[in-house]
Amino acid sequence: MTFDLDKILESKRQFRRRLAARPIAEKLAMLDALREGALAIRSAPLASEAGILHEKPPPRQGEVE
Amino acid sequence: MLWDECRTNVVCATGGSPRDDTRLVGNERVNIKDTIAAINQMQADGVVERYAIGGAVGATFYLEPVATLDLDVFINFPPKAGSALVSPQPIFDYLKTRGGRIEGEYIVIAGWPVQFLRTASPLIEEALAQSVEKDVAGIPARVFTAEHLAAIALQTGRAKDKVRILQFVETAVLDHARFQAILSRHGLQEAWCRFETQFRGDIP
Repeated sequence: MTFDLDKILESKRQFRRRLAARPIAEKLAMLDALREGALAIRSAPLASEAGILHEKPPPRQGEVE
Repeated sequence: MLWDECRTNVVCATGGSPRDDTRLVGNERVNIKDTIAAINQMQADGVVERYAIGGAVGATFYLEPVATLDLDVFINFPPKAGSALVSPQPIFDYLKTRGGRIEGEYIVIAGWPVQFLRTASPLIEEALAQSVEKDVAGIPARVFTAEHLAAIALQTGRAKDKVRILQFVETAVLDHARFQAILSRHGLQEAWCRFETQFRGDIP
């Protein structure tokens, strides 16, 4: 664990390089998974349709509800 | 697996129950290798002369994978006798008879919306002519070179294109001399200078 921003950025760069160096078939399979995820999100019902409760902030001082 | 075989295999695209229709992608499994195989077959059948993959999927051959909406396929149409007009209709007709479905400007093959694009500039014409063949687990795929993809991104110049150029530079996959030669041939040196100035701190 480090709070050194340079080290953090370098670590991220190295991770991206490792990812880029993976076999192409593996990377394309990751694209398939990303697309499946995007489609799942797109087809998910809206929160309002799914009957999810919403939290409402209390009225501000002097505000009439 | 052949594309047609793939289409008849109704499987769950997102890991849910195969009976749950909301989890399916139009009865298709999302498999970009099958999409590429279908395009190879279309080329072998003479519908297109040559193709190459560009855009985000093309970049994935060199960089880390990034989420994308579609597969950009650049093509040369075979010349039609007695006509200067170019139409994508033969492609759509060919793919529709093999299970592809039209969605707006896309045709969906094996769960991937494919956009067929003509070579509309000298840079893209050159990119297509100099595209390279890559092996995807036994399936050949023609792809733009990394240098051409970066040059096209520079020419297109949207925010996401600039991010892609930075990824190309950071990943150190560009052949500097080749890239500079492309920029020079297509009048992009000034754009590159502006890019370098703008992102000096981000270019390692």
